Amino acid sequence: MIEKLRKLKKQLTWTYVPETEREASDAVVRNFVLHWFPSKVTSKSLSFLYTLELGTISILLFAILLITGVLLMFMYVPSVGQAYWGVKDIEYVVSFGPFIRGIHRIAASLMVAVVFLHMMRVFLTGAYKKGGKAIGSFRPLNWWIGLTLLLVTMLLSYTGYLLPWDQLAVWAVTIGMNIAKSAPFIGEKIAFLLRGGTIIDQNTLLRWYVAHVVLLPLFGVILIVWHMWRIRKDGGLGSVESLAEERIVKDKIVQKGKTYSLMGIVTGATPAIISHNVQGDTYFSSPQLTRRILIVFTISAVILLGIAFIYKAPLEAPASMIIPPNPAKAPWYFLWLQELVADTTIRIGSFTISGGFVGGILVPGVLILAAVLWPFLDKSGPEAIGVWFHKNRRLQNTVFILTVLVIIALIFVGSDMRGPYWKLYMPWQTWPKTPTKF
Amino acid sequence: MSEDKLNKNDYSPKLEITRRGFLSLIGLGFLGVIGSLVLQGFSAVRSIIPNVLYEPPKKFKVGPPSRFSEGATFLPERLFIINNNNEFHAISAICTHLGCTVNLAQYSPPKTYISRRTGKTVDETFEFHCPCHGSKYRENGNVYAGPAPLPLPWYELSLAPDGQIVVNTDKIVDHNFRLKL
Repeated sequence: MIEKLRKLKKQLTWTYVPETEREASDAVVRNFVLHWFPSKVTSKSLSFLYTLELGTISILLFAILLITGVLLMFMYVPSVGQAYWGVKDIEYVVSFGPFIRGIHRIAASLMVAVVFLHMMRVFLTGAYKKGGKAIGSFRPLNWWIGLTLLLVTMLLSYTGYLLPWDQLAVWAVTIGMNIAKSAPFIGEKIAFLLRGGTIIDQNTLLRWYVAHVVLLPLFGVILIVWHMWRIRKDGGLGSVESLAEERIVKDKIVQKGKTYSLMGIVTGATPAIISHNVQGDTYFSSPQLTRRILIVFTISAVILLGIAFIYKAPLEAPASMIIPPNPAKAPWYFLWLQELVADTTIRIGSFTISGGFVGGILVPGVLILAAVLWPFLDKSGPEAIGVWFHKNRRLQNTVFILTVLVIIALIFVGSDMRGPYWKLYMPWQTWPKTPTKF
Repeated sequence: MSEDKLNKNDYSPKLEITRRGFLSLIGLGFLGVIGSLVLQGFSAVRSIIPNVLYEPPKKFKVGPPSRFSEGATFLPERLFIINNNNEFHAISAICTHLGCTVNLAQYSPPKTYISRRTGKTVDETFEFHCPCHGSKYRENGNVYAGPAPLPLPWYELSLAPDGQIVVNTDKIVDHNFRLKL
């Protein structure tokens, strides 16, 4: 009997204890979850100050958003008549409803911030650069996947705050659809497709609901998996490149490390992990990396829950197409775009270009295009890969930081200096009616 | 001798598929796959473009002229009916910048300004202000401040047989238009 129970316990629990280092490294390769990691990582990759753990935190936030999002789907009906009252019920009737919605909302806000900071980290360390030493390495591809993920994150936030169908939602969708409409030639067609008609109504809500709960999360999951796999294929984090460089200088050759067969899905060689060639100063992913990720997950989750206890997710008045709030403000991460569309109307004589086109399509388009092309415009050598503020990249880092500062300044102007009728007030002045900042 | 033997092989050449034939078959199959993918992609996108809309009509009655007192009256269909000595016209309340609903700003005593085009002094009792990005429109819908690129459009008005005013938001008219009673 006891023997049977012991056997059952063995079947139900993980009893694997590696006896050698070789066995430990094989375990990482064999395990489905740990397969994301290489079996060994360099101390630089593990360094908190190199990555700031921003990618890890993004994934945690995404996971939390998926879980709380599914919970919210049980209580929300994507109908113009019921959406607002469903959210009101979540806030006032459902047990722990405000808490679950609060977590969802604050995690979404934090995710926009963390994903953006992650992009900044990758730019400032030059981790997107070409010229990696691993076989099959092409870091720009992962930079582009990352940019798409940033856009998906922004779109998820946008579609998310449309769903309660309160004042913020309808006026945000009104402004968004009009920006889409201001695109030349195809704008009106795109706006028609996004609205599902000529006015903002049930079709619009349903479309954005499906985008928020199915299309964008699915796309996000696929991109995240691809993003993680690309890190392996590129030979690990950017920080291993300098070690590989030293190694080449010392030994003159790079040996193929462990490879993973892809069964003819990709051409050329299979991904080889260069960090295997870097002898010394490496640690087994399990337990060093897994333990670190658990710690980061725990601390982030505790901080997130702490904020969610204090912070209350906003809900404005029910949607009304007749009276817009004054001023009508987007959540903070879109305020710089709102400030741009309000400031960039160009008048040359009787000829006028709407700020909706300049600030809503042209400027963001140019920023995205510059980011996409940057790996080719960046002329600094491979020695700048994976180094914070490398001296060869001083100018581009300065321009990048200045752009970010302009965006932050615009967000500040939008949130703290714009009163009713979008009038400009100095921070120390008070405007007639205080608007909500989020 | 040996050549003869080779030629006398008894497999039928009719069953043989040439390299060219094989490649064209593969090519055709590939085209078929691409074609079906394109067709499915097109049908997926086409299916979400609605063919029928259940939206309120663009041409509707707004009530008898007596409903509108002197000056501008806001209607929930997002437009203003302006009664000027029993001459009516309709101005859209949708800001031409990004589509917010403009507010009516009323002035008494009337606000005086000098017209940039004619140089004359004009008195006006109301204006339209957009709360979203601060566009400002004159009494006749012309923009004078803020990011709006175009003046507020005027809609066509007509009189129904039952004496009610009919607005057609699909028809834009110029600033000379008046519905006289």
